[in-house]
Amino acid sequence: MQRMCKIIENRELCRDVYEMRLECPEIVQESKPGQFLHIKINKSADPLLRRPISISRIYRDTGCISIVYQCVGKGTEEMAALKQGEYIDVIGPLGNGFTLFQRKKSAVIGGGIGIAPLLEIVAELTDCDAYLGFRDNTFKLDEFASACKELHIATEDGSLGSRGNVTDIIKDIKKYEIVYACGPKAMLKRIKELCAEKNVKCFISIEERMGCGIGACLVCACKIKEGDAWHYKKVCTDGPVFEASEVDFDD
Amino acid sequence: MINMSVDIGGINLKNPVLTASGTFGFGREYSGYYDLSKLGGIVVKGLTLEPREGNKPPRIAETPAGILNSVGLQNPGVEYFIKKELPFLREFDTAVIANIAGSTVEEYCIMAEKLGSLVDGIELNISCPNVKEGGAAFGVSAESVYNITRKVKEQCKVPLIVKLTPNVTDIKEIAVAALEGGADALSLINTLLGMAIDINSRKPILANAVGGLSGPAIKPVAVRMVWQVAQAVNIPIIGMGGIACWQDAIEFILAGADAVSVGTANFVNPYAPMEILEGIENYLINNQFGSINEIKGNIRL
Repeated sequence: MQRMCKIIENRELCRDVYEMRLECPEIVQESKPGQFLHIKINKSADPLLRRPISISRIYRDTGCISIVYQCVGKGTEEMAALKQGEYIDVIGPLGNGFTLFQRKKSAVIGGGIGIAPLLEIVAELTDCDAYLGFRDNTFKLDEFASACKELHIATEDGSLGSRGNVTDIIKDIKKYEIVYACGPKAMLKRIKELCAEKNVKCFISIEERMGCGIGACLVCACKIKEGDAWHYKKVCTDGPVFEASEVDFDD
Repeated sequence: MINMSVDIGGINLKNPVLTASGTFGFGREYSGYYDLSKLGGIVVKGLTLEPREGNKPPRIAETPAGILNSVGLQNPGVEYFIKKELPFLREFDTAVIANIAGSTVEEYCIMAEKLGSLVDGIELNISCPNVKEGGAAFGVSAESVYNITRKVKEQCKVPLIVKLTPNVTDIKEIAVAALEGGADALSLINTLLGMAIDINSRKPILANAVGGLSGPAIKPVAVRMVWQVAQAVNIPIIGMGGIACWQDAIEFILAGADAVSVGTANFVNPYAPMEILEGIENYLINNQFGSINEIKGNIRL
């Protein structure tokens, strides 16, 4: 569905990372973790396209959704300049989202801005650990700490937690029955390998350059194995969440 | 009551607003947003004889007021379309036009034969810039346009629309060749060949390096080409290229188009075709025209 949504809050969490809270009760009713909103930042033809941004938190009591986004170009820079009380054009919720399994020992593993959609997962699960990787600046750690059982952090510059990649701080992947992950492709590829070695079920959220967001334009292709064959599936409607074992990263 | 119906080389459209091939899938994705029966017609995603996986991603790059795409004709093949997609489209009271692409003239002919009279029209895609063989190669010389049009027309049981590429020196010459080959109508323009480079990685953004530019950025080029072609041929024209609002559509019709196709705008605003249709109707009412045909080519020079 398409709605004009009121901005309740739009604030900087750390350098170039922002959180926007939108009032959108009808979208909230249909949303689940891992889905995304497709946002037209202004009415202008430049930037032309909508911006796909993952849902970070779903507040069912207040009818609000929180999204966390990084300023990486013209569109997100304009988005960061929007003020509380303004309205933006939103289509959503889009994508398949994560299917959560309660009563199974779970972990979320995230890198960079990819940690944002994991927040709703830890909020909804009762027995979940989190492994988060950042370049330097961290964000949302308080919310993760209060919602998950164990919180493990890695930073590339060593400013907080262990120095290095998030995949290096996972000591014992096989204690988990389910892993949910989101982040850069190299990280997801490594997590896929770790989980495959120990036979842990793993779901990952994939990012790809997107057009329409609703499955018509076929630009956000992701290589998915089906038996011995493979097909390009659509990240926007077949995904963005796929079972890690079926994603072919070797392209 | 305004008469909005148009005749595109024998295809009767209830109104002049269509959706452009490659931007509307097979209609399913948009059917939740509005009743597809309100459209003049749907031109489906480009079909090939065999299923195609398409090009490696990234397949899209955003550029000022436009997008470059390099999908590479990903589609399930003409037979799957006939069995699985066409029945859905036929639930709606709108014209269905099949866009077909091939790597040989024979492939186009076989597809036209298979489609028979199951669709209301066939759009000959000889202008796709994103495939290695065939595609635009057929569309850039007058001789090959004449030949492929003539051969496919022999197999075609429904009106044949030839879709022209803008990546040519003289579009009028190509339009005349299609007319002489037997085209019942023309559609233009397909995308303009373009390129975008990521200055940090120093790599092209598209995996295919180059792709087709569409969106508002190309509209003035498209209007000019529609105007030139309308001077050169007397068959109906479906105008397209960057139409995002009703004012854009009116511009194309004034330039000589009988109907318009909405493409990239669907990606930004799923309701764009409906808003454009309403805007055209209001323009006609406000300017006291009784039918859409009264403004076709009606510019003051």
